[in-house]
Amino acid sequence: MMFITQQVLTTLGWVVLALAISPMLWLLFQPYFKGLSPAERRAASLLRDMLTAEQCRQLIWRGYLEIPSPSTAQRVYRVPRTRGYVQVLDDGHAVMRLCLQPVESLPDADVVVLHKLMIEANEEFYLQQANKYLCVE
Amino acid sequence: MLRVMSRRGDDRVNWDQQKVLAGDPEATAAVREAERIFAQERAKGATAFRVEPGKPIQRIETFDETAEQIVLVPRVVGG
Repeated sequence: MMFITQQVLTTLGWVVLALAISPMLWLLFQPYFKGLSPAERRAASLLRDMLTAEQCRQLIWRGYLEIPSPSTAQRVYRVPRTRGYVQVLDDGHAVMRLCLQPVESLPDADVVVLHKLMIEANEEFYLQQANKYLCVE
Repeated sequence: MLRVMSRRGDDRVNWDQQKVLAGDPEATAAVREAERIFAQERAKGATAFRVEPGKPIQRIETFDETAEQIVLVPRVVGG
């Protein structure tokens, strides 16, 4: 009985480990699986360098990256993995959608990094530049 | 390292700060090239960020050769 319990725990441990590292591995190998262009591969590499393991997991499993506001408690910016509006959530409720894009066309992964850098280092300017669409409930 | 976002992904210029301090001509040339690209992209409206592990991301106005990594993003506009 003890032996079986030990085996189950070991297996569970491996499953948890596999789940924890799979997003990083996916980000690492997806350029090859999906036949991405060299530009997209380089952008994916930059994205990997900029995100923590937890942020990678969120981006892959949920399709967006949540960036806490540096200035407003309970505010979060939800940046989509592919092109689209950035949602602003206050206390978990969507209050605004933002549209901001680079003047030069960039791979999707670079656009995610762009939003992250601008929000974390220069939120005020980011908000000034973005077109805002208020969410009315 | 300087990383410049573009339609090609990101272009990189690497240099070794220790070699720059030691006067290595190749490393010094790399820094000068990075500085030139930095100025050129900033003139076009790009924003520069200093990114270092474990530290908050910092917006910078001038080139800093001691930065571990500088990322330049192109000018942005509301969509």
